[in-house]
Amino acid sequence: MGTVTETDVVEQEVRIAAPPGVIFPYLIEAERMTRWMGIEAKLDPRPGGVFWVNVNGRDKARGEFIEVVPPNRVIFTWGWDGEGTGLPPGASTVEITLQPDGQGTLLRLRHTGLPKEVQASHAEGWVHYAERLAAVSEGRDPGKDSYAM
Amino acid sequence: MLDLKLHAISQPRRREILRLVRDRELSSGEISSHFEVSRPAVSQHLKILVEAGLIDLRRQGTSRLYRARPEGLNEIRAYLEAFWEDRLGELKHAAEEEYRRVEDGNRD
Repeated sequence: MGTVTETDVVEQEVRIAAPPGVIFPYLIEAERMTRWMGIEAKLDPRPGGVFWVNVNGRDKARGEFIEVVPPNRVIFTWGWDGEGTGLPPGASTVEITLQPDGQGTLLRLRHTGLPKEVQASHAEGWVHYAERLAAVSEGRDPGKDSYAM
Repeated sequence: MLDLKLHAISQPRRREILRLVRDRELSSGEISSHFEVSRPAVSQHLKILVEAGLIDLRRQGTSRLYRARPEGLNEIRAYLEAFWEDRLGELKHAAEEEYRRVEDGNRD
């Protein structure tokens, strides 16, 4: 069945023109979190503390913080509230590191532990984002993110 | 092809079928025996999954054997990447905006 490592990790990198100390609160404070992800969040940023983000009013990500090292690293588990999502709360792990990079920061995100069979059901919730991505790649304006409004 | 895949996985029964044939090849009869619905209904689901490239069909004598195509899911995996890419883009925007405000404030 192919190699697991190719399909169970999602990695992203982004350079941000702000120091880690400015970015870090966006990863652990509910009010700042909802400026980039979700419409509502409950975050208790300490090992074992709750990580909960209502992504779009329907899909609610739930897990717990595993490691919180200001201003460089945060690790939390990630799954979905509800039955039959294929990825129960805490099933996968997201690690975000903030590395100083000149005047700014290199942010790295690693989402691991995604079992293959859930990728399909996972994807269902991401159709919305896929449409936005398709719009961008075709040079169209995706418009305001209605999921995040 | 993406639309086909998304349509294919939007149905819970088809996701169950996908899980069933993830690690082993099964005949349409074996797959049907897992469900309460009629064989034609299951056949229709299988047809949609095959057309979407999510499972492979192999004919052996009179049997039709089905197995998941892992590479078929790679494309779908891209959606999760798109999710984080989109979200991190928003994070970048928010953090940079806040940083600019702080810097401007310091200069005043």
